[in-house]
Amino acid sequence: MADEHNAEWYENTFKRMIYWVGGVLIAGTAITYIIDKWGVAEKTSFLTAVIFGLTVATIKAATVIVIFMHLKWDWKFKTISITLISTVIFFIGMMWLTVGSEVKTYEVNDGKPGKTDNTWVHGEHAIDLNKPADVETPKK
Amino acid sequence: MEIPYNSTARPDTGLYNGKVGIWLFLASEVMLFGALFSAYVLLRVGAEPGNWSMGLMSKEVGAFNTLILIASSATIVLAWVSLKLKDWNGYRKWKIATVVFASMFLIVKWGYEWPAKFTHYDVTFVDDEAAETVFANVLGQDSYNKECREKHREIWNARYDIDGKVWDSGSVGTKDKPLDGHIVGYYTENEDGEREHHKVGKAFGIYFWSHAFAWRHDKRNDGRTTGAKRDTFREKGVVAVEIEPAHGTWDKHTDKHASVTDRRYAKASDGKASDAGGHGHTITIETSKISRVSSYEPAHSTFFAVYYTLTGLHALHVFGGILVMIYHLMPISRRLYESDPDRFTNRIEITGLFWHFVDLVWIFLFPILYLF
Repeated sequence: MADEHNAEWYENTFKRMIYWVGGVLIAGTAITYIIDKWGVAEKTSFLTAVIFGLTVATIKAATVIVIFMHLKWDWKFKTISITLISTVIFFIGMMWLTVGSEVKTYEVNDGKPGKTDNTWVHGEHAIDLNKPADVETPKK
Repeated sequence: MEIPYNSTARPDTGLYNGKVGIWLFLASEVMLFGALFSAYVLLRVGAEPGNWSMGLMSKEVGAFNTLILIASSATIVLAWVSLKLKDWNGYRKWKIATVVFASMFLIVKWGYEWPAKFTHYDVTFVDDEAAETVFANVLGQDSYNKECREKHREIWNARYDIDGKVWDSGSVGTKDKPLDGHIVGYYTENEDGEREHHKVGKAFGIYFWSHAFAWRHDKRNDGRTTGAKRDTFREKGVVAVEIEPAHGTWDKHTDKHASVTDRRYAKASDGKASDAGGHGHTITIETSKISRVSSYEPAHSTFFAVYYTLTGLHALHVFGGILVMIYHLMPISRRLYESDPDRFTNRIEITGLFWHFVDLVWIFLFPILYLF
């Protein structure tokens, strides 16, 4: 990484960046903790709390990746950038499978009264088990 | 034979071998943890209302461990910068600091946090009446009156339902809202039908394990005494159990001044089942009134199964990182540094990349497992 940098850059510029990032990470942790202690979920909503917490976490993660993992200087290397983009796409895909796709709660029609099954069913592949099976009558 | 591009960049990638390798490895790690995070979200949003026991976590411990890991992430970059500046002593200083921080993280996790959970139990009841009798006793009331209900609601909402929407819905009965605390003693009956009191510390030989998740009872398991669903209440013929309600929650409503030692051990040996709840420190519950006893082990709930899977895998990464960093402080590493400083500096860089990834995972684990 960044071999074009000289000793003076490491001694002055980069070390200062490290302390800044350390400060951001500590501040981010403290803010998240304090806001949670204040009762963000109870006083606003659970969704607000989650969005706030994950936004701060993402900012913290970004500073670690960009400065500590030197991506600011290494992004130009395609081996790294393309690998990273691929993993981000994979991660988004995994998350879509759970939170982004259509979810239906349905009651299983298994003939047993009062029995409920909260099964997760995804998108267009959802099967409506309450609907009678569409079976063709065999031809004689 | 000399392996090419150990210290110098390959013309096509612009990177040395180790750096290509570590980024591919980190990509596979993103997939591993990504799948687990995804599974977590599925289980979290699919959980039945009032069943997500995240409020049992200690946020202070989680925040402390986050700060430790952040510090280690900064010190490992400083170690690498020292090598770039040809300063071996500076490298050594920052690397040792990193190992110390990483070890502190594991000590907190494996030496304090997990064992504290293994010795902490939830008790649920066979019917609402039994539960209300116990909660009234724990909260120092004559009956499960309005004041008692409000205190119970406050504690239960903080632990199981952060939105506070489930209590009024009635979907979780009083019998299924657990009392939590430490098991400090138990009662058996001898052949004459007389009750005998036992201290938990003597129950299973080794002292810690006598308190830890050895105590299991679940009416649904029909008293099995073997395997994962081993019922130790049935095994030891426990007819009643003596519980010290968790300090910091239940105790603040009764007596917050008694020392932990007093509450947990001295009071546990005072004898009769009938008056054990009278002194406000421990309470005796008949086994016949209990539907389930479980420590905060993985089998406790979906939340704890996920918690141990995610934090356990992460802690193994921390442990592996510590081993590598210790190797980089040994004389053999010093010799490599002296013979080929650029190659050694590159090794420290890729170790650092791995370590930052471990930090990254924790940055997300902290809010999702401890806070929200």
